[in-house]
Amino acid sequence: MNRRDFLKVTGVAGMALTGTDAKGSESSSPSPEFYGVLVDTTRCIGCRACEKACATEHDFPVPDIANDGALETQRDTSETAWTVVNRFDTSEGEVFVKKQCMHCWQPACTAACLTNAMYKTQEGPVIWRSRKCMGCRFCMVSCPFDIPKFEYHEWNPKIQKCNFCFDRLQEGKKPACVEACPTDALMFGMKRDLMEIARVRIYNHPERYVHKIYGEHEVGGTGWLYLSAVPFEEVGFRTDLGTTPYPEYTRDFLYGVPLVLFGLPALLYGMNQMTGSDNED
Amino acid sequence: METYTYVNIFETKGLEYLLLMSFLVLLVLFVRYLREPGGKD
Amino acid sequence: MSRVTTISEQGGFWSFLRSQLRPRGKILTPFNVISVPIILLGLGILVVRFTQGLGSVTNLSQEYPWGFWIGFDVITGVAFAGGAYTITFAVYIMRMEKYHPIVRATVLNGLLAYIFYAGALALDLGRPWNIINPIIGNSFGFNSVLFLVSWHFLLYMLAELLEFSPVVAEWLGARRARRILSAMTLATVIFGVTLSCLHQSGLGALYLMAKPKIHPLWYSEFIPIFFLVSSIFAGLSMVILEGTLSHRVFKDQIDPKKHHSFEDLVIGLAKGAAIAMFVYYFFRALIFLHDKQWTLLRSGWGAWYLLEIIGLVLIPCFMFAYGVRHRSLGIIKTAAVLTLVGIVLNRLNISIIAYNWYLPVRYYPSWQEIVVTMMVVSAEIWVFRWIVLRMPVLREAHELPSDTQEKPERAAAAASL
Ligand code: SF4
Ligand code: SF4
Repeated sequence: MNRRDFLKVTGVAGMALTGTDAKGSESSSPSPEFYGVLVDTTRCIGCRACEKACATEHDFPVPDIANDGALETQRDTSETAWTVVNRFDTSEGEVFVKKQCMHCWQPACTAACLTNAMYKTQEGPVIWRSRKCMGCRFCMVSCPFDIPKFEYHEWNPKIQKCNFCFDRLQEGKKPACVEACPTDALMFGMKRDLMEIARVRIYNHPERYVHKIYGEHEVGGTGWLYLSAVPFEEVGFRTDLGTTPYPEYTRDFLYGVPLVLFGLPALLYGMNQMTGSDNED
Repeated sequence: METYTYVNIFETKGLEYLLLMSFLVLLVLFVRYLREPGGKD
Repeated sequence: MSRVTTISEQGGFWSFLRSQLRPRGKILTPFNVISVPIILLGLGILVVRFTQGLGSVTNLSQEYPWGFWIGFDVITGVAFAGGAYTITFAVYIMRMEKYHPIVRATVLNGLLAYIFYAGALALDLGRPWNIINPIIGNSFGFNSVLFLVSWHFLLYMLAELLEFSPVVAEWLGARRARRILSAMTLATVIFGVTLSCLHQSGLGALYLMAKPKIHPLWYSEFIPIFFLVSSIFAGLSMVILEGTLSHRVFKDQIDPKKHHSFEDLVIGLAKGAAIAMFVYYFFRALIFLHDKQWTLLRSGWGAWYLLEIIGLVLIPCFMFAYGVRHRSLGIIKTAAVLTLVGIVLNRLNISIIAYNWYLPVRYYPSWQEIVVTMMVVSAEIWVFRWIVLRMPVLREAHELPSDTQEKPERAAAAASL
């Protein structure tokens, strides 16, 4: 089977998949399925409406997107900007990429948090709860995407990171950035559906995209997914993060702890008894 | 993009066992060295 | 023979305490002259830190959330305190009576190190008042390595306190309490050794999820084991150096009989350290082989790695062995210093230097971070000195010959023959 035939077949499969999509959204049972957002960087025009909407929604200083020339430099998200758009000059021309928390399926940050302040909700958003956090910044050390940011100049600092507009989601609304995007570069939905849509786009336009969906498997799968026209390394993504969910890296150790606690004291006592002479104690 | 190749994660096992054996030999030598000449134990 | 002042002689606990709080010895020692300004300056810095935020005094950044206070005070400091569990294991579990004379000083050192270094952890917390959350149980993050480590710090401090409490009881002249507390020693030691194994390795496990951020020469899924094994020889080296120091500083406190056995003791400790380092070196070599890391050696990082592994593990290991064989305390002490430098380097490599190694921004501790660290260390030494000058840590308690107390003396006498 050559490539063209393959694509024809999968095109049909794609139709079938969109069919299940429609059916899937019919069932309104509160299934524990996670929300996600598909970011199609080929559609992004770098208008930064999402940044503005995010700042407005979460009471941050609203960027003057028309005049501040922020695209001239590479920016990272910060304690006052949960999301930023960066421009990359690539072989395919300018590419704009939005950055924010990936809302990992098995987040490193929540596994790291010793107070459960970082919390993976049933719906998928990873949120931060100020009443619990003790500001240890272990979440920052652990997040493979370096997303949580800390307010270093506050006496009562907070961790700042995208919370997927959790409040809006609970009201049945879309995230602010998705709603603000004028080009449908951002698409909100269940990750399962978004994966299918992403695949269909790649199948229908194999020349327009690299054949990879960033976030499908990265760090065990993320809620936010990316499509790109150029290899992801070229537009600021790390492709060396692996597909293992990050909490798995500490699993063996944490598993071993009760084992040691069961076994070692008894062993030590036994050793002690073996070394003793009879008349002692 | 993504290529699929067989990765043998145990490629270095032979070397590792060699290292282990040399370690054991060296450990014996080392421990014997540590036992001071004519020292009391 | 110094007499232990007991409560009964002084009448009333408070007057006893007051008499004990009065400074002893010279006030204008070089250490006091240096440490007092440091402590005052450090306290001033802490006021700024708690009112203006961490960023006002530290160089921490979004890229380097953990800096010198964690990397040095907590992670390195706890490794240095590994002597306490190693020595209590030897003395109480394996009944190596030879080391009994140093067990109290070592436990005290360990206890204080944990109080002060884990205290340094609290300085680094952005919202320290919420430290209560993972402790009282309204938010147990069981899934977190840090949860485990902080609980173990807490429990271990309790265990150390219990291990040390017979000394306090002796100081207060509370015979009955002392007997009860001594009876608990074996249990607390077992508990303490277990906890130590877990949190020494736990400190390494903190970095397991930082896999993509740590240079591959330092990251390994075996970091916990490396931390555990290296804490053994770090602790032993620290005991060697501290022993030498306190020997000189508190000479009048120490039973002259023990001076002879001291050399034997140090040589024994050096043997232990040498073997632990030998094993550690091969552990690291195994990882090096398994991950086929020889390709990484050609960069500057490779040289840095070799400096740590060969220069500050293998060489001091051989120096220990040489010192043991030739009964040279000088070489052993030098080896101990090199070993400790190696431990500092290893812990800082993982937590700071080779962390986010690919980024253009680098982290250097600010002078305030260093002053606060020095403050923590000096405060610890102050407390250590205060306790040693008053409680029977280095000397034996002659007033209480009741039970097990003759044993170590016998052992010391035997060892000094
Ligand atoms: S991207 Fe980072 S902060 Fe966001 S969920 Fe994943 S681990 Fe947590
Ligand atoms: S800084 Fe707060 S949210 Fe992050 S791991 Fe620590 S307690 Fe959890």
